[in-house]
Amino acid sequence: MVRITIDEHELEVEAGSTVLQAAQTLGIEIPTFCYLKRLPALASCRMCLVEIAGQRRLQPSCATVVTDGMVVHTNTPLIEETRSSMLDMLLANHPLDCPICDKGGECELQDMVMAYGPRKSGFHDVKRVFHSRDIRLSPVIIMNVNRCIQCQRCVRMCEEVVGAVALGTVEKGMDTAVTGFEGSLATCDQCGNCVEVCPVGALMSFPYRYKARPWDLAETDTICPHCGTGCQLTVGARKGEFMRVRSKGEHGVNRETLCVRGRFGLDFVESRDRIRRPMIRRDSTLVPVSWDEAGDYLRRRLSAVENKLAGGLASPRLPNEVLYQFQKLMRTVLRTNSIDCSSRWSTPFDTMGPQVAHFYTRAPLEQVVGNDRVLVIGGNVTEENPVTEYLLRDSVRQRQAGLLMLSARPSRLDADARVVVRIRPGAEAAALAAVVAELVAIAGQAAPGETPAHIVSDGGPVATISGDGPQHLAAALVEGRNATLLVSADILRSPEARATLQQLNSLLQLLRALGKDPAVQFLFDRANQLGAWDMGVLPAALPGWRAVGDDAARALFEQGWSAEVPAEPGADFDTMLDLCEQRRMGALYIVGSDPLTTYPDRRFVQRALGSANLLIVQDAYLTDTAGLADVVLPAAGFGEESGTFTNNEGRVQKVSRFREPPFEARGNLAIFDFVAALRGKVLRPSMSGEILDEITRLVPAYQGITQEDIGADGAFTKATPASLEMSSFVPMPASSIGDQLMLITGNCLFHNGYLSERSEILNTVADDPYVEMSSSDAARLGLTDGKPVAVRSTQGELTAKLRINRRFPEGLVFVPENYRALRLNSLMQRGEYPCPVEVQPAHEIIAMATTTESGARPLELGG
Amino acid sequence: MGMREEIETAAERYPDRRSAIMPALLIAQREYGHLPRPVLEEVAEVLGVERIWVYELATFYTLFHTEPVGMFHLQLCDNVSCILCGSEVLLSHMEAVLGIRNGDTTSDRLFTLSTVECLGACEMAPVMQVGDDYHGNLDIARIDALLDRLRAAAGQGADVHVASAGLSGV
Amino acid sequence: MLPPQDCRECSAVFEPVLLRNVDVPDSHMLSAYEAGGGYRALAHTLRKHTPDEIIELVKKSNLRGRGGAGFPTGMKWSFVPKQAGKPKYLCCNADEGEPGTFKDRIIMERDPHQLIEGMAISGYAIGAQTAYVYIRGEYVLAIRRLEQAIAEAHAKGYLGTHILGSDFNFIVHIHCGAGAYICGEETAMLDSLEGKRAQPRLKPPFPAVEGLYASPTVINNVETLICVPHIVIRGADWFRGIGPEKSPGPKLYCLSGQVRKPGLYELPMGIPLRELVDGHAGGPLPGRKIKAIIPGGVSAPVIPESGFDVGMDFDSLAAAGSMLGSAGVIVIDDTTCMVKVATRIVEFFHHESCGKCTPCREGLNWVVKVLRRVEAGQGEPGDVAQLQALCKGIFGNTFCALGDGAAMGLRAALEHFEHEFAAHIEEQRCSFH
Ligand SMILES: Cc1cc2nc3c(=O)[nH]c(=O)nc-3n(C[C@H](O)[C@H](O)[C@H](O)COP(=O)(O)O)c2cc1C
Ligand code: SF4
Ligand code: FES
Repeated sequence: MVRITIDEHELEVEAGSTVLQAAQTLGIEIPTFCYLKRLPALASCRMCLVEIAGQRRLQPSCATVVTDGMVVHTNTPLIEETRSSMLDMLLANHPLDCPICDKGGECELQDMVMAYGPRKSGFHDVKRVFHSRDIRLSPVIIMNVNRCIQCQRCVRMCEEVVGAVALGTVEKGMDTAVTGFEGSLATCDQCGNCVEVCPVGALMSFPYRYKARPWDLAETDTICPHCGTGCQLTVGARKGEFMRVRSKGEHGVNRETLCVRGRFGLDFVESRDRIRRPMIRRDSTLVPVSWDEAGDYLRRRLSAVENKLAGGLASPRLPNEVLYQFQKLMRTVLRTNSIDCSSRWSTPFDTMGPQVAHFYTRAPLEQVVGNDRVLVIGGNVTEENPVTEYLLRDSVRQRQAGLLMLSARPSRLDADARVVVRIRPGAEAAALAAVVAELVAIAGQAAPGETPAHIVSDGGPVATISGDGPQHLAAALVEGRNATLLVSADILRSPEARATLQQLNSLLQLLRALGKDPAVQFLFDRANQLGAWDMGVLPAALPGWRAVGDDAARALFEQGWSAEVPAEPGADFDTMLDLCEQRRMGALYIVGSDPLTTYPDRRFVQRALGSANLLIVQDAYLTDTAGLADVVLPAAGFGEESGTFTNNEGRVQKVSRFREPPFEARGNLAIFDFVAALRGKVLRPSMSGEILDEITRLVPAYQGITQEDIGADGAFTKATPASLEMSSFVPMPASSIGDQLMLITGNCLFHNGYLSERSEILNTVADDPYVEMSSSDAARLGLTDGKPVAVRSTQGELTAKLRINRRFPEGLVFVPENYRALRLNSLMQRGEYPCPVEVQPAHEIIAMATTTESGARPLELGG
Repeated sequence: MGMREEIETAAERYPDRRSAIMPALLIAQREYGHLPRPVLEEVAEVLGVERIWVYELATFYTLFHTEPVGMFHLQLCDNVSCILCGSEVLLSHMEAVLGIRNGDTTSDRLFTLSTVECLGACEMAPVMQVGDDYHGNLDIARIDALLDRLRAAAGQGADVHVASAGLSGV
Repeated sequence: MLPPQDCRECSAVFEPVLLRNVDVPDSHMLSAYEAGGGYRALAHTLRKHTPDEIIELVKKSNLRGRGGAGFPTGMKWSFVPKQAGKPKYLCCNADEGEPGTFKDRIIMERDPHQLIEGMAISGYAIGAQTAYVYIRGEYVLAIRRLEQAIAEAHAKGYLGTHILGSDFNFIVHIHCGAGAYICGEETAMLDSLEGKRAQPRLKPPFPAVEGLYASPTVINNVETLICVPHIVIRGADWFRGIGPEKSPGPKLYCLSGQVRKPGLYELPMGIPLRELVDGHAGGPLPGRKIKAIIPGGVSAPVIPESGFDVGMDFDSLAAAGSMLGSAGVIVIDDTTCMVKVATRIVEFFHHESCGKCTPCREGLNWVVKVLRRVEAGQGEPGDVAQLQALCKGIFGNTFCALGDGAAMGLRAALEHFEHEFAAHIEEQRCSFH
């Protein structure tokens, strides 16, 4: 600690703090432009100059580190004069076109001039003008260089945090201008963080351009619905119409950053692709009806299948309250445990349960990635959880931590990594087994003779991955003081998911035994995946990861709900489809999910869904699946009902309503009440807030959280610690990965499906669907970058343009899963992932129809 | 040595390839005369660095030209020592005889005329750099003679290096 | 063009050291350099001295940096951490962009080995194995000569591994600038070397601790480095005995402008300005009168006639309100308009401003606009006050010394030649043409 005096106040601050930080703790305001909390100081704007006793010149407080006994003044006449002079100089060339500037009313320069500026300028020469018309750098970013004050926040943000290195600074001196390569940002991430940090109206959001003045906007704080990172953002709406998204400076996991989906991809709320009225199937077509009519119809159909099996699927993009109520409805009213929250994979409860219940690190990402080794397993964080990636990069660079990557897909983060292990698609389990084996070996060497017995496994894991990557990984993990594992939920797609999770378990336990205090979090691509699990939207688990078969747990809920809960674990979605196909499924109730486009075997899922006795689809949007339904219930979409999400960190955050459900759509909770009533039941409680109260009573991880706790930074759920019980390692069965081209899928930066595909803005910035592969494979097959190629599997074929990625390993083919029109899932075969494919040149891209094969597309019918 | 090899050789001088952007741009400019977009992309690709970094440097430093310049770039110093010794008169004279303004290129693409900051040869002010060579102690007669020599050299298809007595004023 | 060293007052007592070689035939060749005793200092250093002894010697000599700031060289070297776990670098600042300055160019063109020897000894002292010479790109001849010299020195074992049979390894690379004055500022030079836009860095960390590639780095001017071999051979006392004790040594003065014998002069530090200009450089052009002199490149405030007796060393010039800078002495006579000189100077800084900080980038732009107007006879009554206010806003508040240089220069011109500015504004024209 260091003692200093600022404006006659004495205080102690941490050594290494800057004068600016110290002043802020006293509430003394020092004006700044170039300073941005999360970036290293630049000290170029010279607004923050202060007097330090003994120094000849004024010093930039943003970059001056306190020393013991330092005496600082922040408000002398000289300082005031200097601030005013800096502003005077900045204004000299500033356009002063505030009335037509999008930033007017929330411009830092404007505010600063009000507070510290000259009242009158002596400048009466001609102003510098770079250009008379604003420059469209990209579909979403537009620039007015005349207004730029050269704080360089945008460029630093782009390079140091986002890692895109798309923006730069050209020319010098008075001609200095911020721009992209050759004046374009056409190929950047379009995350708009540059726009966000711009203090003036230089970098602007094109979609928001000239749309509103800040004081006309009703702003609502909420959570981004696009991925599990769970970024906080503020939605601005005018008269109920969505206008824009801004990030919040200090709060949440994202602290000011957003990715393209969060910043520009919320316009889907205005999508016209809505289900307007309830619909029922009549003479094999869906026809719009009133809620009452739909109710009568549904009551009849439900009674007809009363004695058959029922099942339900709810989307992990729905709020906790909706999901919790859904499983309650399914369990107590439709009396089934056959419920699931993902159509893309199954969740192996036996391995996953203990991991998530006990080992999951429910703590801020910032803290989790502060460990000095961070191992990222699977997926592609850059594209799946962009903001997580920004934070990770930032942390790794600032702390010089060791980043370790193990995945089939390369990502931009590789550039910052100390070890990158590129594996064949689907080889996660084998690779982890090899790392575990190496760790066991190292642990044995480190303490020969006294290796704790529990580290030596019976039989020992068998390494099936070639190369010395795992060795390097293990060595790096051992060198570190502590370690974090970030695991892409992508590993769940593989039929080997259980094996991968087992190896992950071994790795965690081993790291614990080695004293590395491992932290683990999953990287989910769905906004409330962790919440959906926690809420018990699982066939084998009640809320809070308690086994359905656990009598005590069941009793607790039965008491809480005053209803019976079936004791037998239910079927997961995959099995539900089997049941449908066998015509044993009565009612299948799908809420907010579109398995027809996401289940990895289109032909099968279509057949199965068609074989259910009664298919109920409750959704905001007209999905392909809705086209197959017998009953379609129009529900509120994101932004139209309140609740909470639990993000990847285990942070519970409020999602707020900022618009009314349109047409005849109703809130999901109200629809559950409606359905329950058809069966003569009442769900209690039924209001979102009360449901949350019940959750915080009955779900251990949520216990103790109150509505008020979920403030600006959300509230953290808690893991229920379990004693460290070293299970023996599971040997890795040698996997059979040939040298065929293997197709894997996942999210791409601009899309993660369902919602993103309904964003007009994202559709403009996103490329067309593409097939990504290595340059050597492309060369071998005679394929050209940018040209159409056909990808063929035993199940089907698709055509899209080729994107050569030099960093791709041989044998890997990637097609993003989020282009509905591509029907990627028609190539997949259930139970097989990755998917062996052939790739050939194609003559043209055959435009895919976007309508479903069966049933009329009810778009024109709804309204 | 081809351009790529030359750039590779330059890159070996530094522990970080980004450092080689400047030498690479000098090499590329010698090769292509100026630095249009594809050349910047090529440099970025050869060095494996971000394109924007290359673009930043190509525009920051005045010796790099992103636009074409004439065969002979007449760079007349107009800093203090040179104007004290009459370089302004030389500028007007050249503008008149070449029929172009400061900063422009003659229509035959032979000459580009620019004033530049101090060339570091004030002992022989006024000074002008043409290509690699310095010409000092200039007056109107010497300028005329120099322009004639340059035109003649161009006519003979000679290289831009014109023998000059004024080479760095030695 | 070198002046004849025919001045009676000093040639009797002062024998040029730094320039002793520049006029011999083939002075840039190794053979000529060796014939004049070249590389003896390096051999002596490697055989007889530890690195610390060299640092001590340089400290004792009171050698101060010749790049402009006059920082004690030995002290700078001693800041380099002995144990760093990282390579150390020596950077020679040969960017010589200060208008009025040409000394480094002449050294590199005509005696490049002297620089190489100076660098090798300095590198040895600070524990560097790699050096970069940052030369401005316009200096094509100097670059070629230095390249040749480096090759020759390598071939003869003065550079490379196990230099002269010792354990010392040292290589010198050339990095060509590309026309940006700011690269002369040492931290901007480091960014430029790292392949970035040349903009000054925050200090601390100082380059000696965290410089090039975040490794300990010493940056020295060409002239500073060439003093080192002579100090090794002739001793610190010899060096300290030349000129003022606190600012001693032989010094290269660059004379240019409206003076009879412009050229490069080697004379003792501290020589009176009047003696330098009138005695050595032959005084004013026929029929003219010298009215002002810029003593140290355009960053140095102009000195009016009344100040010509000042001694040409760091401390005396600072006391007189100007600075020695790079010792680029620009002579201005009574036929020249000071408004124009001041305008041209500020235009230069404006053109060369890197653009990083507000006062330099924006302030100089404003200043230039006002000055151009005043010079063109369109001045307004408040202009001088506005210029003074801008100088106040800029001076001391810029990120690096470039902005300061501009403000200081303008302030001095306004102070000493206010009447010329006033006349321009009043008469709405320049009376000099
Ligand atoms: C704007 C600016 C330009 C400079 N230009 C040069 C230069 O061209 N050559 C030089 O040696 N030093 C120059 N300097 C000084 C250097 O920053 C640095 O002080 C010097 O290279 C250190 O070497 P020395 O201690 O040997 O003088 C400049 C400084 C500033 C602020
Ligand atoms: S004073 Fe500021 S803008 Fe000027 S050169 Fe220095 S850092 Fe750059
Ligand atoms: S905030 Fe300190 S200089 Fe800009």
